[in-house]
Amino acid sequence: MENFLLRNIDNPNSADIGEYEKSGGYKNLTRALGMEAAEVLEEVKASGLRGRGGAGFPTFMKWNFAKADPKFPKYLLCNADEGEPGTFKDRPILEKNPHLLIEGMAISGYVLGAEHGYIYLRGEYPAAKDILEAAIKQAYEKNLLGDNILGKGFNFSLAVHQGAGAYICGEETALIESLEGKKGQPRTKPPFPVNVGVWDMPTIVNNVETLSNLPLIMEIGGEAYSKIGSEECPGPKLFCVSGFVEKPGVYELPMGTNLKDIIYKHCGGIKNGGKLKAVIPGGISTPVFPADGIDCAMDFVAVPKAGSMLGSGAVIVMDESVCMVKVTYRALKFFEHESCGKCVPCREGTDWLRKILERIENGFGREGDIELLLDVVKVMIGRTFCPLGDGAAGVVTAMIKHFRNEFEEHISTRKCKLSEAN
Amino acid sequence: MITITINDKEITLDQPMSVLEASRQAGIKIPTLCNHEILKPYGGCRLCVVEVERMPRLQNSCTLIAADGMVVKTESDVISEVRRGILEFLLINHPLDCPYCDKAGECELQDLVNKYGATAGRYKEEKRKVPESRKDQIFARNMERCVACTRCVRMCHDVQGSSSIAMIGRGGHTRMEPFTAESFNCEYCGNCLTVCPVGAILSRLNMHSFRPWQVDKEVETVCSYCGVGCSLIAQVRDDSIKRVIPKLGLGVNKGLLCSRGRFGYEYIGSEERLKTPLVKKDGELVQSTWSEALGIVADKLTEISKVNSGSSIAGIASSRCSNEDNYVFQKFMRMACGTNNIDSVSRTGFAAAQKYFEDLLGQGITGNMVDGLKHSETILVLGGDPTNVNPVLGLSIRQAARDGANIVVIGNAGGLEKFKTVQVVPHVFEEAEVLESLLLAVSKEKGVRGERPFVDKELRVLADRAPKTDVEGFEEAKKALLESGSTSIVMGMDLVQRTDGHRLLFTVAGLTYLLEARLYLLCERPNEQGLIDAGCVPEMLPGGRPINISDFRAKFEAEWNGTLPENDGLTILEMIEGARNHTIKAMYVMGENPAFNLPDSQSVKDALSGLDFLVVQDIFLTETAEMADVVLPALGWTEKAGTYTNLERRIQLQKKVVEQTGGMEDWRIIAELSNKMGYAMNYSETEDIMREIARVSPLYRDLSYNEIAQGNCLWPYHGEPLRGEVNEVPGMHDVDKEYNADFYLAVEKPLFHSGTLSRRSEALMKIYPEPLLKVGGSTAAKIGLQDGDRVQFTTSSGTIEALVAIDDSIKDNRVYYSNNFRSGGVFSVMKFNIDKVTNAPGIEGCEVRIKKL
Repeated sequence: MENFLLRNIDNPNSADIGEYEKSGGYKNLTRALGMEAAEVLEEVKASGLRGRGGAGFPTFMKWNFAKADPKFPKYLLCNADEGEPGTFKDRPILEKNPHLLIEGMAISGYVLGAEHGYIYLRGEYPAAKDILEAAIKQAYEKNLLGDNILGKGFNFSLAVHQGAGAYICGEETALIESLEGKKGQPRTKPPFPVNVGVWDMPTIVNNVETLSNLPLIMEIGGEAYSKIGSEECPGPKLFCVSGFVEKPGVYELPMGTNLKDIIYKHCGGIKNGGKLKAVIPGGISTPVFPADGIDCAMDFVAVPKAGSMLGSGAVIVMDESVCMVKVTYRALKFFEHESCGKCVPCREGTDWLRKILERIENGFGREGDIELLLDVVKVMIGRTFCPLGDGAAGVVTAMIKHFRNEFEEHISTRKCKLSEAN
Repeated sequence: MITITINDKEITLDQPMSVLEASRQAGIKIPTLCNHEILKPYGGCRLCVVEVERMPRLQNSCTLIAADGMVVKTESDVISEVRRGILEFLLINHPLDCPYCDKAGECELQDLVNKYGATAGRYKEEKRKVPESRKDQIFARNMERCVACTRCVRMCHDVQGSSSIAMIGRGGHTRMEPFTAESFNCEYCGNCLTVCPVGAILSRLNMHSFRPWQVDKEVETVCSYCGVGCSLIAQVRDDSIKRVIPKLGLGVNKGLLCSRGRFGYEYIGSEERLKTPLVKKDGELVQSTWSEALGIVADKLTEISKVNSGSSIAGIASSRCSNEDNYVFQKFMRMACGTNNIDSVSRTGFAAAQKYFEDLLGQGITGNMVDGLKHSETILVLGGDPTNVNPVLGLSIRQAARDGANIVVIGNAGGLEKFKTVQVVPHVFEEAEVLESLLLAVSKEKGVRGERPFVDKELRVLADRAPKTDVEGFEEAKKALLESGSTSIVMGMDLVQRTDGHRLLFTVAGLTYLLEARLYLLCERPNEQGLIDAGCVPEMLPGGRPINISDFRAKFEAEWNGTLPENDGLTILEMIEGARNHTIKAMYVMGENPAFNLPDSQSVKDALSGLDFLVVQDIFLTETAEMADVVLPALGWTEKAGTYTNLERRIQLQKKVVEQTGGMEDWRIIAELSNKMGYAMNYSETEDIMREIARVSPLYRDLSYNEIAQGNCLWPYHGEPLRGEVNEVPGMHDVDKEYNADFYLAVEKPLFHSGTLSRRSEALMKIYPEPLLKVGGSTAAKIGLQDGDRVQFTTSSGTIEALVAIDDSIKDNRVYYSNNFRSGGVFSVMKFNIDKVTNAPGIEGCEVRIKKL
């Protein structure tokens, strides 16, 4: 398949509006503005596009909810708070192809009747901020943003809002709180943001990659788009592969590409001819696959069936030299640090889990620690306010399920063999 | 109608609510930590989980809206297991210092662990350490104990509107912190203490002094500070008040209190309390006995009334005393001393304003429910800051603002800075132009109502005079008032203490009339309304019955078994003038401090020193008491029973909580005197007095303590019609004066103080220890003043030295100084002119020079 999301990626000036327009950029916005908003929405429906942020919620459905709400103004927020370990798929769009996102947001704003858009950008992407802001300025200059865009009577303003480094702000309601200037913590749902979002108005929060698919849907039509990749969740998907592979990086592949193919065909297999031990398929919060579990189509339907989640499509590959206890400990250190503190199970659970894991990894494990870990996890699962705590608990469950022997060995030998070897 | 089943009990709900609220309503207790009845649901603690049929996992009952047909179980093995798990989590970093923690015994976490928790914990790791902060004078903050339920922060932000604290940090490092990180520097309402489920924020007032289970008794009574009349619970141990707390849902305040109410109670146990009568001998006040002191007073008053007639005696009643005290006092003055010279300091504000409004618009016009404020579409605030004078009433205004009401502020009102929709700041002392323009504009739109001929006539005069203003925000204010379907007007007394006060009052009356608004008068003292109702005004008998109407006279004379004095009584400032020119020979002051609380206090002192005989009945040796010939020690709040009538005209019981200190109830002192002077008063308890009031006063008709105790006693009780007729009101006087000075002195009414009482409260003195000269930011910049500068400020009648506090909510060139501290109140350097219509002192236009030291 030809790259669409990463088109022009090798052009050093790809972020410039001229280069973008040369390869057909903003034609799709013109096309969309020439249609009724409802017709464009029909195309989105026909495309079968599903949100790329991790949950895979049908985009058409979310948009329909927001459109049905009679309150105005409506807001379109782009979730560019890409903060999960292993995830860097949106970065090439933000830094190399910002106009694709801007065009996608303008089209979406038109469909939704939203006149104000915000890109909530991860605080640790300072380069992307400058690039996006420069691109937005160019778009304003060419009346691709602003009032009466291309003379079609549609107004759309767009601004970048930089986060301050909290992972939780990738959760849409926490993102909204943060955008409003408050501490980033998730809100109670319902009401959902589509009805009561930023400043209590209907708000659509979509991922960078989701919004960047809009120009493609306009270019080839919803029908043709729906033929790309998996039947139930079509379209191109960005996979960011890291860890022990020969060619780590961001790959644009059809949704449903087999994980095995991603690792061995596209990424050139395990680094230095090593032996695969485990793969985390969708970012650190998704349950791990052992080496023999990677024959799996990467989409929002097949991965859950295989016991994990597609998440952000962040594939983390680990070979035999990696200690799984250490990985678990490192993951929990992340979750403990990023837990917002709002709900008890996540706040205290991640703290407790991290402390036990740290002990085990450092050779101070005790008899019964594994059972205790599983008990702690049991209090967390399904009880936390938002998926952050569930994710943290799920990581521990999956790691113990597939690599229990490593935990036991740490506890019985009171050391980490692999860490010592390294 | 929604019907849900909780634990096999069918519950019908008349409005949508959460499953938790529905359970609460049905008396089914679901454990929670982060939920609180006063606050919005939060969903953080996860303890309130319930099982709901046909729902896959356990649900949080606090955020789950009850739907018709829902079947809920609040207790089961699975639920208990979850609760046990959550509680174990909560304890892993909790210090478990219960034996040392003041909260033990009333700690929600402790109670929950007792009920649902495991017997032993499995946590073997190190606990988080956060040192306790005692940087604040009032609050101790222990963040190890904090369960991050955020109730305090939500209370502070969503209810109190103070927004002084916030949750900072993430995950396990989440903790509450005041914005200054050190002291709280807040409104010190202490409502965060009410909602903290654990010992994370505690009051330092009673730290380690008692355990909740060591409380000997809890008495439900009414606060003694302002006219809102908040209900509170006094907790007593060893005959001393250990703590004052509010009670959810109770009274006007429904679980909220302000700094004065919560922390100001200590004055009652002050070392400075008067314990024996004092009699002046050779120019010195010396200890005496009751029989000697009462004998002197009775003899002296009898003599003066015989030699000089009763009208040379004057009585000053007190808005801090109960209805019963005041009723007995005015009866004593009228029947035993033979004078109608009865008034109070309330004449300088509340009583003057109320008389004007009632004369114009009818009796009861200012009696409106505080709760009603919340339902207003527009609230006009003028003449003072409600959040300082009547803090809990102020909260209703803030709540209305949150619910979308327009808050129109005229003049300065710092506590509404974050809540106002529009603020109009008239040029200093030119409020009349602005208000009259506003009234005219409203009247043009609303037309003539034709119900009050005087108002309609004055409106026509106003239209001819066509006042004009170009003050900023005027149009917006006008629009908010004209478009409002439900308007409230909240007026402070700054507008009364003016030479042109009656003009300002007329505009407020006119707006009330045309907009059919609810009018609220800010009321600084707890019983200003009751004082008027009891007849402690020269021109009216109890129940607001005009004394010059012969039918009323005859009725009271029959009831009181004697003859009412003929002469018109004097108002308080006229009494002071009388003392100055020796037409008043004797003065009886009950629970008041005119030598401090009246403007131009030095000249008041001079006048009082000319009296032949001065009796002061008080709980402290006040500035006035120091001048007295006889000082009689009274009992204070919580030492005696009685009733107060608040600003909404709610009659409430004040109960005896602690034993007396050596004084006597005000009414008992007076009754004894009266008996000695030959006019019999046979009361053995306050209820006897209330029975008499209920017989003679149409406003309190048939009222009994039993009924008052049940709450919601708002007069007119038992439907007695209000006085229908409207009195003549004198027309307008022009007061033309230019105000071009750099600064004008005005009276600060601080949230934390209330004169004689609060300066004996250690806690309030810690919060606000010395008087400050409050100066607006732009004013300060003009003369290079900075926060904390020491200055000397001088008026035509004196100089005071003070520290400067910059307050950006002061938008004009007034500088404010309070009249609360012993070291010189602002009234000592302010002269006044009397408003000829209201008889209130006009203290505007007090030019002041400020010199940096």
